[in-house]
Amino acid sequence: MALRRPGNEILHLIRGRTSIPILILTLILCTPLICPAQVQVRLRVIQASNVGANVDPSLRDLHKELGSLFNFTSYRLVRDQMLSLSPNQPAALPVHEGRSSIEITQVGSQRNIVELKVRIKRDGTDILNTQVRLSPGRTVLIGGPKHGEGVVILGLSVNF
Amino acid sequence: MVSRCSSISKLLEKYFDREATGEEKSLVERHLSDCPSCQKTLLAMEGVSDVLKTTVDKALNEETFPWVWEKIERGIRLERGISWWESFLSWLRLSPLSQKKIWVPLVAVTMLFLFIMPILFKKTPSLPASIVVEYVESQTSNVMVYELEKAKVTVIWLFEDPETKSST
Repeated sequence: MALRRPGNEILHLIRGRTSIPILILTLILCTPLICPAQVQVRLRVIQASNVGANVDPSLRDLHKELGSLFNFTSYRLVRDQMLSLSPNQPAALPVHEGRSSIEITQVGSQRNIVELKVRIKRDGTDILNTQVRLSPGRTVLIGGPKHGEGVVILGLSVNF
Repeated sequence: MVSRCSSISKLLEKYFDREATGEEKSLVERHLSDCPSCQKTLLAMEGVSDVLKTTVDKALNEETFPWVWEKIERGIRLERGISWWESFLSWLRLSPLSQKKIWVPLVAVTMLFLFIMPILFKKTPSLPASIVVEYVESQTSNVMVYELEKAKVTVIWLFEDPETKSST
């Protein structure tokens, strides 16, 4: 029967204990590469027109800005959606029961700023290509595409 | 004889272990002189003892107890009041860092860390924080960008041609 050296057993134990923090450290360092950060982008689709004089109550945070920027009397929230965007993974969705669609891609992020690439298509043709930098509390409104009696305004904001 | 042997057997163990008294010793020796059976028993006991002793002695001879000795030395030095450098060297000898096997994962992790650092702290082409719209283009319409800095609202407005179909 071979006897194990007590010293070696303890060193073996220490090595076993050391390897766990090393493994954890490696995983922590690799996490940003394995699981890149997702960002939550809020997309609001607003239909603005001069038919009627109603402002959707859920748009009260933008009411003042909408009133000072545009000359419409009615603002209706058509869609309010949170999108979880992973880097370089485009999210596409129809703008409003029609042939237009919006594609949003997170192309970069640093500290509290997210860079988003936004493409608006109509009938398969790009009508707008833009890249914006959003930070929490800032809103980008993309408007102009006509819809019915008015226009469509897209509101983009970001949460971390 | 058999009954005599059974009564001697207990004394035989004491005799073998050198625990028998003088009287017991002489009694056992007298019995052994004319009892081959008990002689065989005694020889068997000696055989088992030799095997055990050889194995234990061999194991003890092979064992050097380096780690235990290091600890003892360190304890002695601590009692003497040694310098920090000696203490450091002593710790280094005891620590897993002194083992060659630990250096392989350590070097691997360091290399990985050095490889990841530039990616983690890569300087993305940064624009001033105040710039919201990096670029905007439209092949079909004119575009206007307007910013309300106080309200933190940026507007990108698409001026569609009048002939563009209004149905989206």
